[in-house]
Amino acid sequence: MEVFFNTYFDFSFMSEHLDEVLAGFWITIKLSLVGGFFSLLWGLILSVLRQLPGKIFAPVRWLTIGYIDALRGIPLLLVILGLSAGLATLASEGTIPREIGIPQWFGESDPFWYGVIALTLTYGAYMAEVYRAGIEAVPRGQMEASRSLGMSHGQAMRFVIVPQAVRKVIPPLLNDFIALMKDTALISVLGLVETVQTGSDLYSEFFNPSGYTLGAFMFLIVTIPLARLVDWQIAKQDAKFERGIP
Amino acid sequence: MSESILKVEGLKKSYGKLDVLKDINVDIGEGEVVCVIGPSGSGKSTMLRCLNMLELPDGGRIELQGNEIFGAGKTHDLDVLRREVGMVFQSFNLFPHMSAKQNVSIAQVRVRDRKKKESDERSVELLGKVGLEDKVDEYPDRLSGGQQQRVAIARALAMDPVVMLFDEVTSALDPELVKGVLDVMRELADSGMTMVVVTHEMNFAREVADRVLFMDQGYIVEQGKPDDVLGNPSEERTKKFLGLVLAR
Repeated sequence: MEVFFNTYFDFSFMSEHLDEVLAGFWITIKLSLVGGFFSLLWGLILSVLRQLPGKIFAPVRWLTIGYIDALRGIPLLLVILGLSAGLATLASEGTIPREIGIPQWFGESDPFWYGVIALTLTYGAYMAEVYRAGIEAVPRGQMEASRSLGMSHGQAMRFVIVPQAVRKVIPPLLNDFIALMKDTALISVLGLVETVQTGSDLYSEFFNPSGYTLGAFMFLIVTIPLARLVDWQIAKQDAKFERGIP
Repeated sequence: MSESILKVEGLKKSYGKLDVLKDINVDIGEGEVVCVIGPSGSGKSTMLRCLNMLELPDGGRIELQGNEIFGAGKTHDLDVLRREVGMVFQSFNLFPHMSAKQNVSIAQVRVRDRKKKESDERSVELLGKVGLEDKVDEYPDRLSGGQQQRVAIARALAMDPVVMLFDEVTSALDPELVKGVLDVMRELADSGMTMVVVTHEMNFAREVADRVLFMDQGYIVEQGKPDDVLGNPSEERTKKFLGLVLAR
């Protein structure tokens, strides 16, 4: 027990290397926020495309469903590796501009942006399914009432359906955000020195795994309050929609 | 008869093998109040929903003020049609994330292109008309069923429709709330609005309707003045239905 404790909870090592782990965690936070923002947006776009009505839009619906199925079925790690390799190759061949193939926008490194794109592609697909559940949970009469007033399908979605759907799915979206935040660790394969890679570097150099522990703490400081927030939101919704059976 | 508002010829609608509407023909004139009665499953609501294309008919023709809006299996200018035809539903279908005033304003702004201030003034005026001047800023979950339904009527009226469709609008209400809604509809009828009312309220039909249609099994079986259809029906099926309803 003491050996275990000394191995993982070497507090003097932790305080010595706090700055490095914090720097790595800052990358994790930035990646989560930027990737999370674009995933939320892309997921909403996908879910709306998937709900377009009529025969004309059938190909759009099929393409969207195909995309969502594919990206939910492929490991994120594979998306990260495949995307970065593909873009870098195309850029080096000159097929696409270098600024797009090897993105280094706003002073962030190219692994960072490959990570943002890969997270958005994959988590957008997950979140599209969450939004879809929310859209389908809005009673049919809402669309009928909107259309009977002369609103187009698009207006009804924008002003009536989506605002109600988003409120219903805030808790599951927060859950997906927690998962996304943890999955940012996968981008370390591209050499991005985020929280996990920092721990790994410290271990390689000093043969001390307490850097991992410190990283784990930092994740928990953010994810546990988020998980509580999710539960609180769900409890709030339950209280509003059903009084419960005594 | 006065100018035709809605003209329906040979309207048909099936769900799979079930033929809900078989051959509906009716012409509704300006200012006319038509009540549609009939047993459950007779096709009353389906007919009403076909009139503003919430259900796509399988055959027949529909004209709104002389312009074909459905014919030869095709619809024309759906959004234009729907803004001219007001609809009130059994289940109210208010937008729960908007106040009463916002419910009444949203389509005025987005569909009729009215300024926000202008549409809000109109909303407050209409909510006053349906007796809810003190509820303009309440959200639907804070209103009773009867109040919600009156907001829904105001919402449809805000589009200045040429005809209003009512689909069993009091069926989901507690008995003591029915009168308030019917009073609003009665006033509307008195003001000259063209109305098609699917209802189980026989007294309302008797007092307010210019014409009563009795539907059964996808056909209009009998129609005429309320006193004739309700008081002295000529068809056996009408007699049987009224016997069951009025005996309550």
